Amino acid sequence: MTAPQDPRSLAWTIGAAIVVVLYVILLLGVESQLEIAGLLAAGIAAVAVAARFGVVARLGRFLGERDGLLNALVVAGTLAVTAFFHGDAFVLLLVATVIIYFIACLGLNLQFGYSGVLNFAGAAFFGIGCYTAAVMTVHTAVPHLLILFAGGAMAAAIGSILILPVLRTYSHYSAVITIAFGLLFKIFLEVNDALGGPQGLRVKGMNVLGWKFNSNIDIGGIEVSFYVNYIVLGLVLLALAFTFVRRVERSWIGLNLDAVRLDETAAACFGLNITRWKITAFTLGNFLIGLAGALFAMMLGFIAPTNFTFGDSLILVSIVLLGGIGNPWGLVVATAILIVVPEKLQAIQEYRFLLFAAMVILILLFRPEGLLPRSLRTYFPGWRAK
Amino acid sequence: MDVGLLGQYVMNGLMLGMMYALVAVGFTLFFGVMDIINFAHGDVLTVGAFAALATILGLAGIGVDSPWIQLAGATLVAVTTMAALGAVIARTLVLPLKGAPPLNTLLITLMLGTALHEGVRLFYPQGANPQRFPSLLPTDAYSFGHFTLRIDSLLVLTTGLLLIVGIHLLINRTKLGLAIRAVAQDEDTAKTMGINYTLIVLATFAIGSGLAAFAGVLHGLYYSEVNFAMGLLLGVIGFSAAIVGGLGNIYGAILGGFLFSALQTIGVLAMPFASAYKDVFAFAVVILIMAWRPTGLISEKISQRV
Amino acid sequence: MSATSNNNGATPLLAATGLSKLFGGVVALDKLDLQVFANQILGLIGPNGSGKTTFFNVTTGIYPVSAGRVVFDGQDITNLSTQAVYRAGISRTFQRSRLSLALSIFDNIMIGNHKRLNQGLWFNLARRDAFRRQFEESFEEARELVQVFDAPLADRMFEAIGGFPMIDRRRIEICRALVSRPKLLLLDEPSAGMTQEETTELMDDILEVKDRFQGLTIVIIEHEMGVIERITERCVVLNFGQKISEGAYQEIARDRLVQEAYLGIE
Repeated sequence: MTAPQDPRSLAWTIGAAIVVVLYVILLLGVESQLEIAGLLAAGIAAVAVAARFGVVARLGRFLGERDGLLNALVVAGTLAVTAFFHGDAFVLLLVATVIIYFIACLGLNLQFGYSGVLNFAGAAFFGIGCYTAAVMTVHTAVPHLLILFAGGAMAAAIGSILILPVLRTYSHYSAVITIAFGLLFKIFLEVNDALGGPQGLRVKGMNVLGWKFNSNIDIGGIEVSFYVNYIVLGLVLLALAFTFVRRVERSWIGLNLDAVRLDETAAACFGLNITRWKITAFTLGNFLIGLAGALFAMMLGFIAPTNFTFGDSLILVSIVLLGGIGNPWGLVVATAILIVVPEKLQAIQEYRFLLFAAMVILILLFRPEGLLPRSLRTYFPGWRAK
Repeated sequence: MDVGLLGQYVMNGLMLGMMYALVAVGFTLFFGVMDIINFAHGDVLTVGAFAALATILGLAGIGVDSPWIQLAGATLVAVTTMAALGAVIARTLVLPLKGAPPLNTLLITLMLGTALHEGVRLFYPQGANPQRFPSLLPTDAYSFGHFTLRIDSLLVLTTGLLLIVGIHLLINRTKLGLAIRAVAQDEDTAKTMGINYTLIVLATFAIGSGLAAFAGVLHGLYYSEVNFAMGLLLGVIGFSAAIVGGLGNIYGAILGGFLFSALQTIGVLAMPFASAYKDVFAFAVVILIMAWRPTGLISEKISQRV
Repeated sequence: MSATSNNNGATPLLAATGLSKLFGGVVALDKLDLQVFANQILGLIGPNGSGKTTFFNVTTGIYPVSAGRVVFDGQDITNLSTQAVYRAGISRTFQRSRLSLALSIFDNIMIGNHKRLNQGLWFNLARRDAFRRQFEESFEEARELVQVFDAPLADRMFEAIGGFPMIDRRRIEICRALVSRPKLLLLDEPSAGMTQEETTELMDDILEVKDRFQGLTIVIIEHEMGVIERITERCVVLNFGQKISEGAYQEIARDRLVQEAYLGIE
């Protein structure tokens, strides 16, 4: 049932995880632009060397059969980084942003990575979650945890308006529909006074049973930044979302979504209801994107239409493409690269859209399966035929 | 409503329709020969407009003051450089992905579009702000009641219409046009008849992109302003116009362009209180039309072998 | 209502009457009457463009019919959706293999098993133990099926089908069509793109499958006359969307109309 125990590989894996965590801490901690650039170069070189000697592949195989271990290592690593930077608001905001974008990209991955439904309005659905949170925290007394789900539900509901046109079209046609929707959404926010117009809206911070997320915490005299609250909650939501997406993939549902993406005609000849599975993927995906948006808005405390441009939608798509379409772990790496690197390396901040675009073009030309290509479906990791 | 104001709206609508039509023709040409959508097309227009602007400023800088020479130089530079850019796009990004899923071409051109307008924003001096486009055409005007017919508008419109006629002649009366039509009809047969497929694809991209550059210049002349993001809206609506007209159908694309501008103009006329929403309206129309007739009013020929 | 194995006056399993299909002005099927009797292998032959694949596409609901009726196992399936035709018990392979090359052998076969798997969201996502049982049962079943064709292939169920040669792909495509236990199997030129020996091997497999699945009826489109002669019990010859001859292979081979259609000028 489970893969044979292998203490040496386990030790190596934990060692590798510690190295990665230390590297991340170092990268997030240093300030000098030159040092950051050097660290990034060293990181790329180290990964290249490790890949050259088959270390990456071996680690991947080992962890591929031990899902729980990989999940635990990632959570422990994130908590270790958080503990190290407990007072550093800038770094913790980055960590929380990566977590939240990861949730959103998991949603996009359901749509685009599995069922092949295009969505170039990711930032708009994220924005729907944000604005839902803004309106509901300020104007209603609904418990804040529920508002997160309301944000997801609202994104899914508004997304359903697009279902008809998206279902009736394919490929480039549905692409242009979602692009049009994304542009419409942003212009609508700008000209609409009720939702704050170009100035945007204030959002109340998360408050769960008197636990105010937006106040710093004092633990035994140590001042801890309030972002830690959001990191913890974000990790919980991420774990749920991740488990959900993983189970979708490792079930007949995931198979159906793949079949729909790869060959609609053949799938229909074997009884698959194409419409049902596309709607399932589109709606669930928008829900996750909206949920992430609601959490993001509460953390920032303020939102404006400029956060939801077409460029932002393209960044979400870029993350999915760079990471490796359909591979949730690829998303972690890609989200970290696309969110953290431009924030740390101020020199490229201004050029980030240009650089991302160039990166995606290169990936599509030379490595269309992404940095961490998706592996074949395993329904139960470590399962072997009797 | 008085006739003069109505005339003004009609003039604006025609102008907008012509821009859309010129962009849509590019989309439809590319789709005809390659069955692909070049989402960078709108941004090629932007780069073309900025190339023209830079040329005008450059010529003025070296003391060439004649507006006609400035205009001719700017148009020449914009059209030739964008035609070359179009051919380079086809050669380096589109042809290599011929066998890949169509989605990859869609994504790669989308990303190229981003790279192009980001390039303008970052590297053109003050590129993040809208740039004034000099009025190079005579600005004499004739007034009829409230309607003022400006010579420059008339010239821009006439040039645009002449271009459309020129495209018609190119496609229907020349050997190159014949080859393009042959490739669009049946690539394999065209190849066996000795047509150089790659060359035709490059030529088509050059023509389409050159047209976009021309549209960019006309846009600058008419609105006296260009900005790095202008290609996005023109691209989306131009593409929608091409779809409405049936992808691959040149006259359909032209009709589609004018149809969209008519709808937009009527929308503004019917709801003057909501003029701020005119772009929201335009995009809503795009979504509605696609939901209603997913493959256009004049259907694209879909042949799928099972 | 099920038909007997005998075609003398018996009810056919599948019967098309006056079936026509037009593509614009092109007549692909022209008032075709065609009967398939249970337990038989029927060969569907004819020159390119004579309407053989169109017959499959119309029967399985990919194209709507222009006129006429199709009755399968007592049920009118004219213009039913592809999904409903599959549920009624007809499955097929494609002329150009339409497997999902990026997926494993097992995944591809499970696509064909759609109607026998629990597709509920709750079952798939929350009841992992129940799902696991269904998964393990389906795996055993799929493995046994693949073993009929090729034993070594059955040990490689979780490898991407894209990495296998054409003959294995054809085998898996037939497994995908068979796993749901259809009453009628439509094979669209299974020998296309294969060598003589591979074709012979595949036909052996098909005959063996026919033996194992009692009650299976097969319609096969084929250009190789040797194959037709060897495995079919009855043939129908199409030309320009019309039936020009039918009967055992020996009979139709002597038919002058058939010889003209194949040798004569079109």
